[in-house]
Amino acid sequence: MIKSEIRILNKLGLHARPASKLVKIISMSNSDVTLTKGGQRVNAKSILGVLLLQAECNSIVKLEIKGPDEDQLLQQITDLVNSKFGEE
Amino acid sequence: MKKTPITVRELVKSVTVDLRLKVVAGKNGLSRVINGSELHRPGLALTGFTKGFPEDRVQLVGDSESLYLTQLSQLERKEALERIFRDTTPCVVITGRNRVSIAMKRIANEKQIPILTSGKAASDVAFLLTNFLSACFAPSESIHGTLVDCYGTGLLFIGRASIGKSEIALDLVERGHRLIADDIVNLSLKPPDIVIGSGPEMLKHLIEIRGVGVINVREVFGVRAIRLQKRVETVVELSDWDDKEDYERIGLQDQYTKFLGIQIPMIRLPIYPGKNITVIAETIALNQHLKVYGFNAAKELNKRLLKNMETKNRIDNYLRWDNE
Repeated sequence: MIKSEIRILNKLGLHARPASKLVKIISMSNSDVTLTKGGQRVNAKSILGVLLLQAECNSIVKLEIKGPDEDQLLQQITDLVNSKFGEE
Repeated sequence: MKKTPITVRELVKSVTVDLRLKVVAGKNGLSRVINGSELHRPGLALTGFTKGFPEDRVQLVGDSESLYLTQLSQLERKEALERIFRDTTPCVVITGRNRVSIAMKRIANEKQIPILTSGKAASDVAFLLTNFLSACFAPSESIHGTLVDCYGTGLLFIGRASIGKSEIALDLVERGHRLIADDIVNLSLKPPDIVIGSGPEMLKHLIEIRGVGVINVREVFGVRAIRLQKRVETVVELSDWDDKEDYERIGLQDQYTKFLGIQIPMIRLPIYPGKNITVIAETIALNQHLKVYGFNAAKELNKRLLKNMETKNRIDNYLRWDNE
């Protein structure tokens, strides 16, 4: 299992569009991913769960990945978040 | 897309009920072909101005044209009529109580161009004829799919053969919705942007269920289970579940497909055993209603979310510089 943290960089935060991009890449992997922010723990394959985090710009989201492709997936998630989901 | 010309005989047969069209002369010309949906009032051509006269359209002779003709001398009348009874004229329709003169009958029989009469006023005839002819000439297409009226929304199911389109239709009918057509759906365009679906006459309200055979929905479920035609409002594309496929999760962005050049909202629905597609189909129909009424659940959720995050940012910033 890997534990890591991501910082949300895009201005509007983790709203519907970025959240669905995030859930999309995570859903395609075979690993289980849990996101935690402010005491709220959610399964990253659930879109409503990810939205519930209300992760605004500059907030930190904790990440736990467990599964066969965890290293690769962490890299993908980090790249996506750092690219600001293609937004500002 | 196809455009089928129709003959004057077919026109007379099809619209007699509404227009009480009668053939009074030129019966030998009933197999003349009508090539377009537009009508023409030949007033100007009668008076002598024939430049640009669309001779291949249905000519509509109303009160003013008839009155003009009665005022002419016999010779003038013959010449005037010759200007509108042309080689490619499909037929001439006399409206209202206007009499068909002997001269007119003679020229019609000679040239074998049918004269039709209708007791209705010219404006009514024009409206009904144009309506009928535009339907004949509307672009149309026959597709493989199933069309059901679900809570008043026309849901068109498409997808590979034996994926379960007919079974969904049967299930929906059983729950009180109405079948328009199964397997083959004829789509036709009603200008400007409405796509109407109906079933072929021969296969009307039949459903084929694998292992059972052909079922007549009207006989089994009664007349409340069927409908003759319905506007296609949402397309539901059924596909086998695929792990690699990226399915819509939020519904913020509407997807569309095109039929007859018209954009129609489309939902791509993956299916697997045990999934209740019928209830999902009903939900799609109801959600579509809500969207029409201006409520979009995904947009509302995102609005709420963005607002919460914005407020939180503002409070955090305020507290950060609050050094008391």
